[in-house]
Amino acid sequence: MRRRTLVLIGFAVVAAAAVMATLGTAGTSKTRYKIFILPKATGIPVFTQNGNGAKKAGKELGDLVTYNGPTTVSGAAQVPFIDTATRQGYNAIVISTPDANAVAPALKRAAKRGVKIISYDGDTARDARTIFVAPSTNSLIGAYEVQWMGAQTNYKGQIAILSANATSANQNTWITFMKQELRKPKYRNMKLVKIAYGNDDPTTSAQQTQALLQSYPNLAGIIAPTTVGIQAAAQELKQEGKCGKVQLTGLGLPNDMRKYVKSGCTTKFGLWNESNLGYLAAYVAHNVLDGKLSGALGQSFKAGTLGTFKVVQSDGNKPVVVLGPPLVFTPQNIDKYHF
Amino acid sequence: MRGVAGRVLVRWETLLVVAIVAVGIWSVTLSPFFLQRANLLDLVTPYVFIGLMAFGLTFVVITGEIDISVASTLAVSIVSFAQIFAAGANVWVAALIGLAIAGGLGLVNGLLVGVLDLPSLAVTLGTMAAYSGLAFVILSGEGVATFPEGFTKLGGGYLANDELPVALLVMLFFALVLGIVLHGTRFGRYLFAIGSNREAARLSGIPVTRVRVTVFVISGLMAGVAGLVYVGYFGSARADAAQLSLLDIVTAVVLGGVGIFGGTGSMPGVLLALILVAEVRNGMQLANFSGQLQNIVIGVILLAAIVAGNVIAGIRAGGGRTRPRRSRKEVTSNAPAETQVLVDSNS
Repeated sequence: MRRRTLVLIGFAVVAAAAVMATLGTAGTSKTRYKIFILPKATGIPVFTQNGNGAKKAGKELGDLVTYNGPTTVSGAAQVPFIDTATRQGYNAIVISTPDANAVAPALKRAAKRGVKIISYDGDTARDARTIFVAPSTNSLIGAYEVQWMGAQTNYKGQIAILSANATSANQNTWITFMKQELRKPKYRNMKLVKIAYGNDDPTTSAQQTQALLQSYPNLAGIIAPTTVGIQAAAQELKQEGKCGKVQLTGLGLPNDMRKYVKSGCTTKFGLWNESNLGYLAAYVAHNVLDGKLSGALGQSFKAGTLGTFKVVQSDGNKPVVVLGPPLVFTPQNIDKYHF
Repeated sequence: MRGVAGRVLVRWETLLVVAIVAVGIWSVTLSPFFLQRANLLDLVTPYVFIGLMAFGLTFVVITGEIDISVASTLAVSIVSFAQIFAAGANVWVAALIGLAIAGGLGLVNGLLVGVLDLPSLAVTLGTMAAYSGLAFVILSGEGVATFPEGFTKLGGGYLANDELPVALLVMLFFALVLGIVLHGTRFGRYLFAIGSNREAARLSGIPVTRVRVTVFVISGLMAGVAGLVYVGYFGSARADAAQLSLLDIVTAVVLGGVGIFGGTGSMPGVLLALILVAEVRNGMQLANFSGQLQNIVIGVILLAAIVAGNVIAGIRAGGGRTRPRRSRKEVTSNAPAETQVLVDSNS
């Protein structure tokens, strides 16, 4: 009687396994290359867009593109995916990682077994990948944010920057390029009065925004080069009834910012086109597999509808393929983007 | 019905083996790549550092305590090791110091729990946060990733035609040694005795305080060992290393059949549980199941294990029906009287 209970449990497990098995995909159609897109984590709209872009490229190229990854943002959690992708016979792994070093040994293991490694968005160690696909360049990001600010403030008045951490390398580099752009004659009536730090925390960012509004009653605008900061600043401006009086720009996600664009808190902010980034990365992988790209500087290739790209040195990193200037979001185009 | 076969059948480990075979069959139907020898050998490697911490934690849980600071201990240990190495010390000397630090952090937990008799959940919750903060103080930012290959082989090397991971051998070695300590020595029997009834253990002459301190030192040391494998496997040391692994560690221990109220559990059980979890993830990854779906399946397996555990406990009790597991209160039935007095005099 008791033994039968356990045998039944055993059967139930096997039966459940069999049912689950039918859920697995067995279809392997004839494709040229198998490309695995490994994001920092799945379930985040930005990465989903990367995956969709890469799949679109795969369709054009006749490649099988698979998008999968861990549920938490962790380099260590990406490692099993690198290993299993290798075993499944993927020809290339296209990875964005939060931990450049932790994934490097696994990527090198994969490369040793003949898998081509492309990094995008979050780069890994230079000797662990063939090419890095960058969304933009620091100088372009810095310059564009100042241009978006100028366009909203008619190129005059006091402006402030709401950054993330004072120690963040990205942020500080972008701010340096913002200052460089501000030295151009057309910005002579614009004055940078303060750089505040919100630590990429919504509450701190909101408090810092409030402090800026109090300390500088004539403030014309805020540049927040962080997706957390720009959303918190927009929320604060809206609460204080300052939308339209104090302008706002920076780097933000369309999904986060949609309602603030509609309520006039910002009319120009940017980021890169995440779908195009994935699309470009897949084209790079395909060209590397075709032997057309090896990572030598100066090589060029055609990336479908995006046109021709070159392998370059950018922001002290190489070899890099740069997607280009940031994409600007306006009340007219924001509804086209969903990430 | 009550013969040897019956007893083997109701053993927790037997059920885990059945599950491993069943998941294996499932995985074969999911993906043609599952049965490759290289895949089977490599399947547990990413989880070896988790397993080593789970082994250490097993000692703690069997005595009726918990140590949730293990992942933070690992972090302090490896960033100290990395800093000492980066300062120019020999890598093996630095590794030994890292191990000693991990043991030291375990000793702090042990003294607070064993000597001051504080609740281990509260103590290790505190040290979890404190150690994690300490790790960031010692080494913030990108971390160190320049360890010599001779060292990283320990966690990331492969033997026999690049197919046999060294980390697997390290894990099996510790499973064997700790299994012998747990199931074959007087010290091991003390753990079960203390976990079953601490007062009875004390009255029968078991050095309860010393044993309770020791299990936390073992847990700390195993976090240190796990750290060395971690550094080898990932080739780098960071302050946030293993930060998200606590849930996996506890999963391995609970799924391994270690009773969370102390007094029961086995080292083979924990090892089998780790293999099972690694196998489930590997099989589903080879079939490109999403990470979210993998989590759901792991969660369902854990719940099923708890239900099955209850059924087995019922069968063992001979009643043939389920029965609630013994609660913590019964174990320390002598303690409440004193606390009652204290509460009364304060109010």
